[in-house]
Amino acid sequence: MELWEYPGWRIAQFVSRRELSVEDVVRSHLGRISCCEPQLRALITPMEDAALERAQRLDADIQAGKELPSPLCGVPVILKDNMCFQGAPTTCGSNMLREWHPPYNASVVEYLEEAGAVILGKANMDEFAMGSSTENSAFGPTSNPRNLALVPGGSSGGSAASVAAGYCPIALGSDTGGSIRQPAAFCGVHGMKPTYGLISRYGLVAFASSLDQIGPFARDLGDIALTLDVLSFKDPRDATSSPRKNGRYLDALERSSLKGLRIGLVKEYEGEKIDPRLEASVVHAARVCQDAGAEIVHVSLKNAISYGLACYYIIAPAEASSNLARYDGVRYGFRAPAETLIEQYCATRREFGSEVQRRILAGTYVLSSGYYDAYYLTAQKMRQRICYEFDQAFHDVDALLMPTTPTLPFAKGAVTSPMEMYLQDVFTLPVNLAGLPAISLYAGMTEEELPLNVQVVGPRWSETTLLGVASMLEIAFGTPPIAKGCDNA
Amino acid sequence: MSLTYTPVIGLEIHVQLLTNTKLFCSCSTDYIGAVPNSNICPVCTGQPGTLPVLNAAAVRLGVRGALALHCTIREATRFHRKNYFYPDLPKAYQISQYDLPLGEKGFLDISVEGAMKRIGITRLHLEEDAGKLVHAASDGRLSGAGESLVDYNRGGVPLAEIVSDPDLGSPEEAREYVSAVRRLVRYLEVSNGDMEAGSLRVDANISLKVSDGRWGNRTEVKNVNSLRSLERAISYEIGRQKELLEKGKEIVQETRHWDDARGVTHSSRSKEDAHDYRYFPEPDIPPLVLSREEIEKIRGNLPELPWERAKRFREAYGLGGEDISNLVEDRQVAAYFEGLLSSGASPERAAKWVQTEVFRVCNDRKISVENFPVPSKLLGELLHKIDAEGLSTTGARDVFECLLEKRCSLQEAFEKTGVASSALEGDALRNLVQTLFQEQAEVVSIIREGKDPKGKKRTFLQGLVMRASRGQAKVEDVERLLEEFLYK
Repeated sequence: MELWEYPGWRIAQFVSRRELSVEDVVRSHLGRISCCEPQLRALITPMEDAALERAQRLDADIQAGKELPSPLCGVPVILKDNMCFQGAPTTCGSNMLREWHPPYNASVVEYLEEAGAVILGKANMDEFAMGSSTENSAFGPTSNPRNLALVPGGSSGGSAASVAAGYCPIALGSDTGGSIRQPAAFCGVHGMKPTYGLISRYGLVAFASSLDQIGPFARDLGDIALTLDVLSFKDPRDATSSPRKNGRYLDALERSSLKGLRIGLVKEYEGEKIDPRLEASVVHAARVCQDAGAEIVHVSLKNAISYGLACYYIIAPAEASSNLARYDGVRYGFRAPAETLIEQYCATRREFGSEVQRRILAGTYVLSSGYYDAYYLTAQKMRQRICYEFDQAFHDVDALLMPTTPTLPFAKGAVTSPMEMYLQDVFTLPVNLAGLPAISLYAGMTEEELPLNVQVVGPRWSETTLLGVASMLEIAFGTPPIAKGCDNA
Repeated sequence: MSLTYTPVIGLEIHVQLLTNTKLFCSCSTDYIGAVPNSNICPVCTGQPGTLPVLNAAAVRLGVRGALALHCTIREATRFHRKNYFYPDLPKAYQISQYDLPLGEKGFLDISVEGAMKRIGITRLHLEEDAGKLVHAASDGRLSGAGESLVDYNRGGVPLAEIVSDPDLGSPEEAREYVSAVRRLVRYLEVSNGDMEAGSLRVDANISLKVSDGRWGNRTEVKNVNSLRSLERAISYEIGRQKELLEKGKEIVQETRHWDDARGVTHSSRSKEDAHDYRYFPEPDIPPLVLSREEIEKIRGNLPELPWERAKRFREAYGLGGEDISNLVEDRQVAAYFEGLLSSGASPERAAKWVQTEVFRVCNDRKISVENFPVPSKLLGELLHKIDAEGLSTTGARDVFECLLEKRCSLQEAFEKTGVASSALEGDALRNLVQTLFQEQAEVVSIIREGKDPKGKKRTFLQGLVMRASRGQAKVEDVERLLEEFLYK
């Protein structure tokens, strides 16, 4: 077994016991990256030199007997390229920020480094996290490591592909409407979007502030829990971050039964267009939970299913239109040469890709006077009803089981209509609207070796319960294997 | 029959709050004279990924101001984003308050020609300031300039916007209202209220109501940088609108720029008046909840307000209108005045000295009362000697000058100037008169011989005595002694 095949928590153990040097760990992963990257294109900025330098520094500290920075000591991590990390550009997959070097570190970067992690690179993504296939990147598409002809999902496609291919045991993504869970499902790894406010957003380049949340990808639930433990802090730099960390997440995996839990299946999803193999994995998952002692009941989420998508595609673009207004060429990033200020604004902002421009325009429209009430305000009211509906459902159940995606991973270039692409997120985005935690789990493979998925959703701050349920499912479905398809043939 | 035109004026006043740090980050607010772009950070320059964190001190100052303006304080408020593009606005939106301001429905009483007038306060809300553009072109236009530079030091500095109801009826009332607001924010130490330096900025909304039932559109006049400019700008705008209405023309609803040098307003950016700011709730800042206890605590810590102090000065010290307004205008002046009283000066004497000697020295030296070289305790003791111990005002002035120059103790000042600390009377005065009679024997004999029918020589003698006593003799004592020595 190669070092790059180990889960993060194992690596941290080896390094802490001085059985491995960080440099060995990092070199092994860098080797894996250089083997697969030509086919995958998962990274925008690989950071070999910086990673090796940090590894050597950590090794020196360990040799010198300085206190070990647990619990991610020596663990390689890859960041989605919308998290600020000094020493490399943070591009957001956009020409607008191609050359932008952030003058500060994101809070999650500080937390990771304090825990001893080594950052190996910055992962590809849909421009400004807008997309579900990582095809909207100004740096070109990423391939799905399970099958190079397919997309890895998005927007955190580079992070998901990195973990699936063995670039790193843990990667961070951001999830605004499904951008962690859908690529996790497509690449056949675990991906978690925590409760809104659990992890600081300071240093995450904003797409839609009220929906964005950082979360981990991993091939092992232990790594998911460990990452949550390392990242969950009340951050004084993010007023929306919460002090409500609920215990040690690693302990949540110790669960041996689901007795006393009620788990819900969503009635309305049964009528939706879902790939039958994904429907089957939800049924399979329900049976696993039942066997572990949980009671399975049916709940209704009528508003979330009927109006969630429309509601999301008003609120998210509205916030994005405001968040992305700062890219005007005045202070940083791309600036188009122009004669007048207005010309400079227009020429500069034409550099956004078409999906970004579409959402900026939609968002500007729904906030405009005369349309605000009809669109934005109505969407906000619907958002409240969806939150209320989830609240009601969670009076009755402790967690919900549903598919992460309606389809299996599709081929590059296959989905061209924006609407069809938006439908990818129909099962994930209501969760963001309500600020809930959810995890997309690897649920085995189809006969064609395509990954299956199942999503577990819980009430706010129920990460402990979610991880407990997930741990029972992981036992049943197994941990995700490393994708072999991208090995240099 | 001639028509009458009644001005209807409402003001929006922005005051910079006296916090050490900016509204949403920990950068210094001390931008005056600072090297451009030295008080900035990733947050206040709107770097991607940064988030605002509300400054609690700014909220407290806002509540303090709103309470003093008799506003109702909302227990739950929130912030909105006001979206527009301009290079001095780093995030391309200003974080401000929109539907739920900190304070609402207050009032401020002002004095107009001796009468009290109540001006409604529509609202007080918090928002962040923008940076400053520096244009390279001489005509100030961005498009013509070779380049434009932006200084973000001011960006993110906390402002309170105080919006009045349209209750002001004349340029004079507007001026009085602005000075009342300025006095108040200074008393509260909410802002230094300096119009020239831009820490208090006024925009005036002006329209005219015509006696035939017409009501002209309003215009908003910007760029008034002093109380005088405010009065002039409003007068000009009233005149301009009146002229148009007299001709039966419409007033264009627009923003107008006051040109102080030419004394006119001119239309500015009329196309951009159609701004759609696309306000929506700021998702990065959770709703701001103020508990009753917090609000009451701030109310309990309000200082004595200008009108409360004026009332007390009138009732406790028996002072009149002009004295009061001069003494109450500045909190430091009032404190100095009361310092004089507490070391024994009488209210009338103290009021007079503050408004003459103290103001004169402050003016000459361009210092504020806060930095006045003579402590109020010393000056108060000196004034007490005038009232209680018969020290002459001339002598007191000599001692005061000495205190100013030498910064010595009161006793040293008396010694240095040779002024006796109390009235010259009894044997000392008797000896002085005696000596003088010997020196002026000729004059004395002329008077005694009755050759001074108009009393000129006698007045001359009296003057000599007063001068020799350095003014410390009481006139009636001197007169009595002269009578005694001449005719006894």
